[in-house]
Amino acid sequence: MSRYTDTQLDALRELANIGSGTASTALSSMLGRSVDISVPSAFVMPMAEAVGTIGDPESEATGVVLGIVGEMPGSVLLLFTPKDAELMCGLLGVEAGSEFGESALMEIGNIVGASYINALGQMIGMELEPTPPAAATDMLGTIVETVLAERAGAGDVALLLDSDLVVEGEDCSVSFLLVPDQGGVDQMLERLGV
Amino acid sequence: MAETMVRMGELAASAVAGDVLVSLGLGSCIGLALLDRRAGVAGLAHVVLPASGGNAAPGSWKFADLAVPELIDRVVKFGARRPMLEAVLVGGASMFSVSKSSLEVGQRNEAAVRELLRAARINVIATETGGSRGRTIRVYVGSHKVTVREAGGVEKVLVAGATRLAA
Repeated sequence: MSRYTDTQLDALRELANIGSGTASTALSSMLGRSVDISVPSAFVMPMAEAVGTIGDPESEATGVVLGIVGEMPGSVLLLFTPKDAELMCGLLGVEAGSEFGESALMEIGNIVGASYINALGQMIGMELEPTPPAAATDMLGTIVETVLAERAGAGDVALLLDSDLVVEGEDCSVSFLLVPDQGGVDQMLERLGV
Repeated sequence: MAETMVRMGELAASAVAGDVLVSLGLGSCIGLALLDRRAGVAGLAHVVLPASGGNAAPGSWKFADLAVPELIDRVVKFGARRPMLEAVLVGGASMFSVSKSSLEVGQRNEAAVRELLRAARINVIATETGGSRGRTIRVYVGSHKVTVREAGGVEKVLVAGATRLAA
């Protein structure tokens, strides 16, 4: 069912890997801790299945989303579980669940997401710019669905590049999703020559 | 009791009392339930976007302009009578307060679904739309109870589950 070859998916995973490497450096300097990255996974699946793949749709999560404008439109979504949100806010010295908590997560999202988008743009030689971040704390399914819905016009297949940033010694991680527009994926692959 | 998940861009109908049709965590999407409370038939569509612009893949029901007529056809096939159909709308929220486009998607979805129902002469008997919270809709086939639940909240009855109305 995948419309991408294994080589193409490998190339996309590699892009995500380098992007999240840059993002982890940004997060690390923000938190003053070292940050590891997991090997990214690339999912290509019908939109209907995408939400359940990421996690229990009714579990609570905080999402920070940045739009990508420019030659390859898309969205970057950072997901925090309530526990991760609390630990992350603790590292920054603010209270999770408060107004400051959400704005701290939004700032993490902004810095991490923007560095990811910039790294991506440099690698594929495209002008990409992040839009200002927006945050919501709600059901995981709702957050993922709303981000996918904005990108759903072109096709029924979702491509998700998923990587985790893990804060060393804190058992705390951020899940990182890149959701490109469908046309954008083809452009990206073309630039990579695969 | 069988729960049927109606995921993004999917739709389902049933005439089996005890079946439950569910869409989890609706954000900017619309959960559209159609009921014929006398015939004991119900359907649910999970609408993602307002209009297809005429270029959707066959079998894709994510667009309101394709999903609404298809859902009407499905419930009629299960024995619903068209003039008896009633609608319930849940969702259409703007999840990310700063993101203008998602606000528009939620509102445009609701407007599109309402317009299509009006054109099909189907009354909307209950709604829980707009705002900024995600919602789960459950449609109980047979009793025709329709409930909605927000994150961390309790299941709230939107349409009271009556025993089947006398014909």
